[in-house]
Amino acid sequence: MFKKLFKKKPAPKPMKRKVVARKPKKPVRTKPIKPKPIRKRPIKPKAVPKQVTPIRKGDGVKALFEPSGVVIVGASGTKVGTAPTLFRSAVDNMRTYKGKTYIVDLSGKMEGAFKDVKKVYGKAELAVLALSQDLALKNVKKIVDAGVRTMVVSPSYEREQQTELLEAKKQGVRILGPNSAMGVINTRTGLNTSLEREMMPKQGEIAIISQSNSVGVAVLDLARLRGIGVSKFVSLGDKTDVDEAELINYLSNDSDTRVICIGMGDVRDGRKFVDALRAAAEKKPVVVLRAGIARLEDRIYDAAFKQARAIRVRDVEEMLDVANALAKQPPMAGDKIVIISNAHGPAVLAMDAVHREGLTLAKLDEKTAKGISQRHPGIDAANPIDLGMEARAKQYELVLKNVLADPNVDGVMVINMLKSSLLDVDDIRAIAEVLKKFKKPVVDVAMGGESYVLVHDVLKDTNVPAYDSPERASRALKALRMYGRVKEKSKAPPVPKVTKKPKAARKR
Amino acid sequence: MVAKKSVLEFISSIKAKKRRELLEFEAKKLISIWGIHTTHAELAHDVQEAVKLAREIKYPVVLKVASPDIIHKSDVRGVKVGLSSELDVKHAFEEIMANVRANKPNANVLGVTVQEYVPSAREVVVGMVHDKTFGPTVMFGLGGVWVDVMKDISFRLAPLTRDDALEMISEVKGYLLLTGTRGAPPADIEALADIIQKVGQLAAEVPEIVEMDLNPVFVFDKGKGAIAVDARIVLGKD
Repeated sequence: MFKKLFKKKPAPKPMKRKVVARKPKKPVRTKPIKPKPIRKRPIKPKAVPKQVTPIRKGDGVKALFEPSGVVIVGASGTKVGTAPTLFRSAVDNMRTYKGKTYIVDLSGKMEGAFKDVKKVYGKAELAVLALSQDLALKNVKKIVDAGVRTMVVSPSYEREQQTELLEAKKQGVRILGPNSAMGVINTRTGLNTSLEREMMPKQGEIAIISQSNSVGVAVLDLARLRGIGVSKFVSLGDKTDVDEAELINYLSNDSDTRVICIGMGDVRDGRKFVDALRAAAEKKPVVVLRAGIARLEDRIYDAAFKQARAIRVRDVEEMLDVANALAKQPPMAGDKIVIISNAHGPAVLAMDAVHREGLTLAKLDEKTAKGISQRHPGIDAANPIDLGMEARAKQYELVLKNVLADPNVDGVMVINMLKSSLLDVDDIRAIAEVLKKFKKPVVDVAMGGESYVLVHDVLKDTNVPAYDSPERASRALKALRMYGRVKEKSKAPPVPKVTKKPKAARKR
Repeated sequence: MVAKKSVLEFISSIKAKKRRELLEFEAKKLISIWGIHTTHAELAHDVQEAVKLAREIKYPVVLKVASPDIIHKSDVRGVKVGLSSELDVKHAFEEIMANVRANKPNANVLGVTVQEYVPSAREVVVGMVHDKTFGPTVMFGLGGVWVDVMKDISFRLAPLTRDDALEMISEVKGYLLLTGTRGAPPADIEALADIIQKVGQLAAEVPEIVEMDLNPVFVFDKGKGAIAVDARIVLGKD
């Protein structure tokens, strides 16, 4: 019954117009507020009717992050549910956007908003459906007819409820979600379609894909607290259309992104996912967080991650710890670590932490050891190197220079304890300066609580990642080592591709 | 290329018999076409044929019951090893037939397979399953309790690189048993990796095979190779 009703609706005429709207590469730049009736449009396509190609796969994903215009569709007047509040949040969030934002309030109450989505015809590539379940479905067709290429659908639906969405998908419109309440963020352009406030992270080089809205929120929330920069964020939701593989592909080619983080559950097409993951991991580090380790199938997922050379982490904190190191530091060429500390106890714990991650303690070259002990007779040049409680930036600097020049050393963990020592926050700043000049990976540990906050505050805007424990720092070093191995492998002969339909000739 | 063609032909000959599960000697034939080292095995329908085959294969030999209804051959006491004369083979044949009649009276018995005997070595398991999300997936584990009790197994998607194969071997907890401990020489891990890789290739290139189990694979000392001593292959429904 319902289906019949729907099928009656589409008249042939709007169909034509819809194609028209999607065809031109750039929607005509008109003044944002008062849309004039767009007379020219129907004329244009007639000139090039044959070029009406369906939207190609991947195109829509680009329009998701880099749309030429965005329309937020909501209904502020509805009394029921959270949708109106979320709509207002989205409108508010989009104020940071440097591109054009159009607001459509179906209830006609919001000041400066259009009442009908027709009014923004051809102006927005991306539509955000900040509507209730019912209203969203009712308006999908209208929104598609307004010429959007991509939709972020925030309400969630059962599979069988999605007829309208699937219809839009069939027409080539790309859909993020449903159940993508946190939408898309692009920190470079200020694009922020999330329906939650206070989500915008600092601009940076880490991209985050999260299937779960709430896990995504947690990651962004933590990134904001830690001052960790993000390039792009996307919450996947229920994946009726856009999936992990496509986003991974896009982000692997995104020049703003140095590290890709994925928080995921199950994928539908494992091979498509693994192929995308593997291809991406050869270009930049990929960090994966997946729940479900108690189930047997997770063993297969884990194998897939290993084969794709993705770095699997255990929790959200480790995800950001590791991603931050990978974004800031070079890959590590070997397993050998030097620990430099101004206190003994933390250095001993650090030895365990390093060992636990399968890394080893470097044996310093004689020259290095001599270089250190000659200049500073008090300092024990064995690894870990204990600088003593009197150490200031100068001692750190001298030792770091020697150690980083040592061919036996692959990476360094610097421990600086502010309390019970002469070390000062200013010294930390000076140490960070020294480290700028070297290309070997270094991580910093300020063990404890308040001291860590002080040190972190100094280091967060430098290229040195700071951690509050040697355990966290060691996991970051391990990730740098794992990425180092990927780099070595990519120099080695190419690996056979995982293909569904294997080619006949595979030589070996 | 040639191997793939032969394997596909072999598979259609099995399908023509309306069977999805290969008998042991068939499975062994299939993997040997693919270049996986396995024990020579032939089907003997009667005792004379068994004797003849034993002479061809060379003593000592192993006799195993051949029946599509019997998967666990030793459970019905259908396996006799270390047979080094014609008399041994004759006795073993009769004994197996009697045992099977007693333990599994309704089984359709085709005869016995006569197989080359190999001295025992470290036992491992190499298998393949079709995962519903990821497709053909290779499994590796150390034999016996390591797989059954400890669940000490590792997985990789097919096909695998050499590194993948070596990594999945070193990933199991009992790995040290293969590297040589307490004066024991190390196992031929390269030969094992070779089998794993070939299973992965076969799984990836011949999707008709949905399940494969080489259990056990004997891994000899370094440089001395590895060999699949039993093999099970299941084909998918068309």
